Amino acid sequence: MSLRIFRYLPFAIAGLVLPQAAFAHEQVGLGGGLVSGFLHPLTGIDHLIAMVAVGIWGAQLGAPAIWVLPITFPLVMAIGGVLGILHVPLPMPEVMIALSALILGAAVAVRMRLPFAAAAAVVAVFAIFHGYAHGAELPKSANPLAYGVGFVVSTGLLHLCGITIGTLTRWPAGERLIQGLGVVIAMLGGYFLALSLGAVA
Amino acid sequence: MNIRLGRGLIAAAVLLAQASPAEAHIVAARLGDFYAGALHPLTDLQDVILWGAMGVLGGTLGAARGRWLVLVFPLGLLAGLALGQDFEITLTGSTVDAGMVLVLGLLLATAVRIPTVALCALAFALAVIRGMANATDLGPETDRLLFAAGLACSGYAVITLVMALVLAFRGADTSVPTSWRKITLQALGGWIAAIGLMMVGYSLAS
Repeated sequence: MSLRIFRYLPFAIAGLVLPQAAFAHEQVGLGGGLVSGFLHPLTGIDHLIAMVAVGIWGAQLGAPAIWVLPITFPLVMAIGGVLGILHVPLPMPEVMIALSALILGAAVAVRMRLPFAAAAAVVAVFAIFHGYAHGAELPKSANPLAYGVGFVVSTGLLHLCGITIGTLTRWPAGERLIQGLGVVIAMLGGYFLALSLGAVA
Repeated sequence: MNIRLGRGLIAAAVLLAQASPAEAHIVAARLGDFYAGALHPLTDLQDVILWGAMGVLGGTLGAARGRWLVLVFPLGLLAGLALGQDFEITLTGSTVDAGMVLVLGLLLATAVRIPTVALCALAFALAVIRGMANATDLGPETDRLLFAAGLACSGYAVITLVMALVLAFRGADTSVPTSWRKITLQALGGWIAAIGLMMVGYSLAS
């Protein structure tokens, strides 16, 4: 490229840096609802690691869990969401969410082989508590429908992320890596459990 | 890269960086109400979700069944618009909308092969209800014919394009129940049903 091109660079830079509309305060209306719903499962580390662990465990269990979980999990979670919206009291939701990360992480770490029905039941119980926590926030959001869309898409993508990580089980080194990840998730779950029980400050 | 191409790229970059909304006010133009009718449903998330889900359902059931929606859906929108405007009948409401999202999501998630008649009835009912919903925002100065034409064209385009995309994505082989494409569409149905279920809960709570 000729050096003459640099003569024009200042004009290009000037064009790029000239002020545009700031679009600040985006947490309102449709966009605000979408953003808050999408970020809600991502900003809570306990939710995030548990959702990824569900995907990894599903991949470890193989068929039919690997394809049943992405289809049914959001629905079961939505049942919990409805309970949260209706303010139906559930026992110790924060403790159960932390416990879900601990147990799902441990299941991944030891490559726990449960019958499909038992694994689905374990995941369903935890899904209700996770959905409950998200659903409780829905009525306060800028746009409840957009919040619901954002939260469901975000959760689904976290599962997909977990399933993708879980495909590493095809290789022996990948399997060990995933089991190590399960240990980390279980330890984080243990920390959040201790936190929710008030054992640590 | 030659110098002309470099200059052209820089000029294009400057033009793109400077581009701002056109502010053409097409709604105020001669055919403005046509554009208003076409764009009105596309700016409403409920319409976007419901129309999209209907198109996905039509696509998953195959071209032979889905092609009826190309005709039925726009006609339903027109019927709903007429009912809402002329007879002031409204069946709209957040619970009705949420219930429809839930039903469409469940049909997709369970991959039920509903008959063509049932699919057409469902699409027509959905289109009538959404047509009524769109009629509520018609002002006295709006050209109803142009608005209706825009709404019907929009419904036709969205349903046809979504079904075509789903048919292309699904591919020819749908006999394998664990085909990843089929599972993806079912998972999408699970997501849609989850959204519908939560909105049913929200509308009952509020």
